[in-house]
Amino acid sequence: MSFFLVLEERGGHIERVSWEALAAAHRLAPAGEITAVAIGAETAALAAEAAHKPLGKVVRVEHPLLAPYTSDGFSAALYQLFQSQSPTQWVVLPHTYQVRDYAPALACRMGQVLIGDVTGIEDGPVFTRQLLQGRLSGSYRHRGNGPCFVSVQAGAFRAEALNAHANAGPAPIEIFTPALDPAQIRTRPSEPFRESAQTVDLGSAQRIVSVGRGIKAAENLPLVAALAQALGAELAASRPICDNGWLPLERQVGSSGHTVAPRLYLAVGISGAIQHLVGMKGSACIVAINKDPDAPIFEVADYGIVGDLFEVVPALTEAVKAG
Amino acid sequence: MKIVVAIKQVPNRDAPVRIAAGGKWIDESDLEWAMNEPDAHALEEALQLKEQHGGEVIVVSAGPERVAATIREALAKGADRGLHIVSDDLGARDALGVARLLAAVIKPENPDLVLTGLQSEDLGLGQTGVILAELLGLPHATLILHVEKTDAGLKVKRELEEGWFQSIDMSLPALLTMQSGGNKLRYATLMGIKRAKSKEMRAVSAAELGIELAPVVTLEQISAPKKQKSTQILSGSAKEAAAALVEKLKTEARVL
Amino acid sequence: MNLLPTLTEPRHFVLWERALFAALAGASAYGFWRRFGPILGRILQSKKDPDFRLFPITKRVRDFVWEVLLEAKVIRERPLAGVAHALVFWAFCVFALVTLNHCAAILGLGFLDPAGRVGRIYFAVAALFAIACAVAIACLFVRRFFVQPQWLGRLSWESGLIALLIFMLMATYLAAFFVAAPAGAVRALWWAHTLALLAFLPLIPHTKHLHLVLSPFSVFLSRGGFAQIPPLRGDEDFGLVAGKDLTRLVSLQAYSCVECGRCMEHCPANATGKQLNPKEIVLGLRGYLDEFGPASEEPLLGKYASQQAAFECTTCGACEFQCPVGIEHVPILVGLRRGAVNTGAWDDAYGAKLFLALEKGSNALGLSTTERDKFVEKNALSIFDGTQEYCLWLGCMGAYDPHGREIVLALVRIMRHLGTSFGVLRKEKCSGDPVRRLGNDFLFQQLAEANLDAMVQNRVKKIVSICPHCVRTIQEDWKEFGTPPEVEHHSEFLAKFASQLPSFQSQQKIVFHDPCYLGRYRNAYNEPRQVAALAGELVEAPRSRERSFCCGAGGGLAFLGEERGERVSHVRAAELAATGAEVIAAACPFCNTMFRDALAARGGGAPELMDIAQIAARRLPERNAG
Repeated sequence: MSFFLVLEERGGHIERVSWEALAAAHRLAPAGEITAVAIGAETAALAAEAAHKPLGKVVRVEHPLLAPYTSDGFSAALYQLFQSQSPTQWVVLPHTYQVRDYAPALACRMGQVLIGDVTGIEDGPVFTRQLLQGRLSGSYRHRGNGPCFVSVQAGAFRAEALNAHANAGPAPIEIFTPALDPAQIRTRPSEPFRESAQTVDLGSAQRIVSVGRGIKAAENLPLVAALAQALGAELAASRPICDNGWLPLERQVGSSGHTVAPRLYLAVGISGAIQHLVGMKGSACIVAINKDPDAPIFEVADYGIVGDLFEVVPALTEAVKAG
Repeated sequence: MKIVVAIKQVPNRDAPVRIAAGGKWIDESDLEWAMNEPDAHALEEALQLKEQHGGEVIVVSAGPERVAATIREALAKGADRGLHIVSDDLGARDALGVARLLAAVIKPENPDLVLTGLQSEDLGLGQTGVILAELLGLPHATLILHVEKTDAGLKVKRELEEGWFQSIDMSLPALLTMQSGGNKLRYATLMGIKRAKSKEMRAVSAAELGIELAPVVTLEQISAPKKQKSTQILSGSAKEAAAALVEKLKTEARVL
Repeated sequence: MNLLPTLTEPRHFVLWERALFAALAGASAYGFWRRFGPILGRILQSKKDPDFRLFPITKRVRDFVWEVLLEAKVIRERPLAGVAHALVFWAFCVFALVTLNHCAAILGLGFLDPAGRVGRIYFAVAALFAIACAVAIACLFVRRFFVQPQWLGRLSWESGLIALLIFMLMATYLAAFFVAAPAGAVRALWWAHTLALLAFLPLIPHTKHLHLVLSPFSVFLSRGGFAQIPPLRGDEDFGLVAGKDLTRLVSLQAYSCVECGRCMEHCPANATGKQLNPKEIVLGLRGYLDEFGPASEEPLLGKYASQQAAFECTTCGACEFQCPVGIEHVPILVGLRRGAVNTGAWDDAYGAKLFLALEKGSNALGLSTTERDKFVEKNALSIFDGTQEYCLWLGCMGAYDPHGREIVLALVRIMRHLGTSFGVLRKEKCSGDPVRRLGNDFLFQQLAEANLDAMVQNRVKKIVSICPHCVRTIQEDWKEFGTPPEVEHHSEFLAKFASQLPSFQSQQKIVFHDPCYLGRYRNAYNEPRQVAALAGELVEAPRSRERSFCCGAGGGLAFLGEERGERVSHVRAAELAATGAEVIAAACPFCNTMFRDALAARGGGAPELMDIAQIAARRLPERNAG
């Protein structure tokens, strides 16, 4: 019986989410039974890094055609690996964009279905994952005898839990060379790129600090700008601020400005008029700072601080810098 | 270009959901249904490709009777014909089971391109498109924002994590799963609705396709998440509240 | 000695005079018909209006008497120029008989003897009108060519010539009282009068004076309902897409325009530097009909009207309300939008977002219905079950907008205070107002039908709503798809019970802003004032009641992003603030939200903004709170 954990590399290192997947794997089997898979064109460093983790063995699946990543290449290589060792019982992967790209096809090739984006593993094993965009959660079971493919949501398991394991010295490393033919690889990916930095791109910003009428005067804006800078966030504003010309219109969030959905939206001195709410309600995490405890913005906020922004914002800037 | 778009009908994002008796799925009575948003973007991409390069857009969807309304919506927005795989037991199938149904009707069409949404808004598996590519023997790419036809085939823009992108060249035929937001959806028009009345819509029963129900993965139970969203007001002095907030953002919300 | 001087006319005409007259009259009539014939043809070849009903005719007759015969609209809007115009018009009416007799005389068929009893009196009366007319036309000439009001547009030589001809007609007529028969001067005057007349006739259809012929018809035949949007008929009717979609009424109205520019003067879009000019829209249709005709497939939005202009209209209806010749601008502008939206030609990011939000969701704001549920639950609003008197219609603003919710809660406090039973619907969809005015008939039908269905299922008999847009749409627009329940705007409800609400002596000055959809659309001017007056002293804005200036939100524009030029809301808010009032009273959640932003941008010292329900609820005993 084999248990594989497929590691994911980024920037020459193994992503943290791979170790979270290892922590999840520990729920399914003893550490010593787990074989970590480092896959790519050059995997020595990755394998060496992995060997110090609580697992039984590391396999380097190495082939020049495995760089850059392609679904065809990875699926074919891992398929050969899993077929070569018999019989594979578990394949655990981190639920990354890359895994989502090839793992369903790989599982299908083995007559299986990936249980993806798992947030919890209970006895049984029963796998928990979110449904209806987090409004419900579902419990899944694997049927039959074939290998069970599981991908683990980032942040759902704690990589720190691995530290509790006694370090028994580096795990052994093996090399597996798949037979790959260039004709098998049907896509030609380019180097990753970022969009050319536009002057302001609220639409794709991950963090936004937005300022409203509570700021009182244009001279006070640097206070909020400093917080935005400390957070690495874009600065945005509600309509009255842009109407007054304190910030350009391109920074306006709301029904007549941009609709945004960052991971963090921090509203400073914004009461929460409907025109503003419709522009930012899709944000993953909303923080509101306002002196009026009845301000409508608190209705949509995840976290709120009721207080004078002229005190709270500098304190927050310091706290962010200190953290 | 002959393009097949696989779409799914999902509970309206807005609709309040209740767990049905038995706890296996939600209560579907009194529910409003809509086209899965990423699929809507896949349809939009297909329509734009057709407008640029000519060809035909065929919409495929599996599900019970009610799914016909969503297919008609796609026809109203500009698709040329619809294929409805009538199946009342979709919920009992896993992603592979559903993909087999879709593959069975798509294969005979011999499309140049198959598009579908990245994932569904209900189950959120994000696998059906990739499995479909495997079953149809097509190269695929996922999380696609933009599709450009080239002499050799396609050049697509793929979203990577943390604000990175990648372009991928591939030959046709191929399958792409589309990310939301890469194109602007068109609204339904009265003219589209009226024109759609005369478009072909073929219904095939899942039983006719002869694909057995043998799920590898089963959904045993559903439940409401433990924590409901509510506002946490952080009190204390400005300094204390700020420190508490940073801590929450790091450990609870994990956005820092 | 006779008190009345007698009109002198030639007694006999020689043959060549008759021949000359016949030739000139023929030429004049030909000149008239050469232009008028094709115009009439284009109007009659236009598509029939599917909803046209001649009956009930009494309103038509009343409008005709009031607007055409009495010139009430013309005078009310511009009293000086209006009276001058009315004098010219009335003189023309009196002169109908004089002129007929004048022309008949040369053929020996004169029926009014200037020396006879009837004739003497009639001609004397006509002389009085002629004096008034001559003075009036001279004044109008001075206004047109020296004062030059901007809304009249560019100067045209035809206007000058027409004024001259009218003056000549009057002068020659009057002069004939002072010459003695059988002087040659009599004959000369007769011919001068005749020539002026025959020159005038062909000019009519070639100039804006065509309204002399058409406006009585356009006023009499207009749809009658204010800003009434006609139904679409058949599978190929998508609104005003091309010439083939122009109906007879639209074509008639296009040719009736007198180019007075009242519409343009009152248009909020035009006043704030936008492209839209309602006068140009109507004249554009005329230009289109002249070039392409009423069967053309050439798009209407193109050479003669721009899509951008069509989508800048707030549907405030000021243009239509002011139009003296019965042109119905709102159905025309909405018709053009329908043509663009129903065929998918309108490509606007904000518009598409609104439409997509309503295709999938229930409200125009694109928010989750659970937000509404939470609001209903939190404030313990009972669910309507058919036993309560009123169904309280929340509307998108009342259910989702924090400020709209405050208005609803103020109304709720009052209803609880009065002991009026009410409930809210468990599920409510947007009334369809923004999509109706933006021309999305598919969505409007969906929303109207779903809501009408809910009304039937819940046995709703009477609705009260804080939103004049919902009120209008439910009451009038839903009729296309069923029978809506009776609807009251909360100002009407509150006015009914004003005597039971606490009033208090206050020196506070309150200015009430008439929402377009409550005032012009619903004729409710006094009810909201009655409520606002409970709490202070009313002052009026320069533009109020029928002439109220829009807040900028109507016609779906609240959802369309930034406007070009100056903001309508800012102009109006400044005007309201300039009255010196301490409170601006609104009666529409859209006006409220527009002014809130506009006043915020003005900074400190701005008046307080309140809905009339909030004003009325201010002094309610606290135990009724919540």
